Amino acid sequence: MDEIDKKILNIIQKDFPIVEAPFRVVAEKIGTAEDEVLERIRRMKREGIIRRIGAVFDAKKLGYVSTLCAARVPEERLRAFVDTVNSYPGITHNYRRNHAYNVWFTIISPDEATLQSSLAEIRERTGIPDILSMKASRTFKIDASFTV
Amino acid sequence: MIKEKEKNISRFIQMDIPVTERPFKVIGERAGMGEEETIAITRDLMQKGIIRKFGAVLRHQKAGFLQNAMVIWAVPPEKCDTAGRILSSFDQVTHCYQRDPPFEGTYNIFTMVHFREGEMDTVIQELSSATGIKDFMVLMSEEEYKKSSMEYFPDD
Repeated sequence: MDEIDKKILNIIQKDFPIVEAPFRVVAEKIGTAEDEVLERIRRMKREGIIRRIGAVFDAKKLGYVSTLCAARVPEERLRAFVDTVNSYPGITHNYRRNHAYNVWFTIISPDEATLQSSLAEIRERTGIPDILSMKASRTFKIDASFTV
Repeated sequence: MIKEKEKNISRFIQMDIPVTERPFKVIGERAGMGEEETIAITRDLMQKGIIRKFGAVLRHQKAGFLQNAMVIWAVPPEKCDTAGRILSSFDQVTHCYQRDPPFEGTYNIFTMVHFREGEMDTVIQELSSATGIKDFMVLMSEEEYKKSSMEYFPDD
């Protein structure tokens, strides 16, 4: 990643122009050609630096509900548990963490009833009853953009 | 709440827009709308805050943030407001929530913290001193089982 790559990334993370020719606008801002910007972005996607370019929705404003879950899963049942959990469409994050509650995942559902029934179903299907659900009662910050 | 046309556009822009000269023209064609209308609807959704952010989402490890941890804090109720604001003011803190019920009955403020190489201990100490919260737990991610973006309006 060189200085031009970094400039491009900082602009397209926070100030992506919603116009007919967004990449030309980015090019003009940093004083280079549109083709150059397109080429560099395509390369950074190939290299995996850029996961995707698009809209991030506010789940709450769409009426969706979400929660953070922590489960206590015996080592030998870990794989099966994770496979079952990940098969649900609203699971966006799922990590193993260094705690007796060793599996932490987030679930987003179109409404509260769906959320609760998914959780009940996960407990039932995996045979792991000990899954905590901790809802956000207040959001202070969500900003997964990085100055590079 | 959200109209059919908006849903239609949303299905495409929530994924990965094409890296080409006129991306909104291409999206419009897929969604059966013109370029101008596609742009207008996208801007309107941003204005309403339904789209929280539009742009590139990075893989933070590849962008130089090699480590991340969920750091959870036991904050007395009357201090949550201040602590939440102080923690959020740090660049390394990407997410900060108050959660209910608290984890283990006491850890109520949850932060996701991303670190550049070697800065983890220092940054966590700084967060602790800045808030005055000494009771915290660092939950490292030992394995990533899933990391994805939510797909809204899948097929309705």
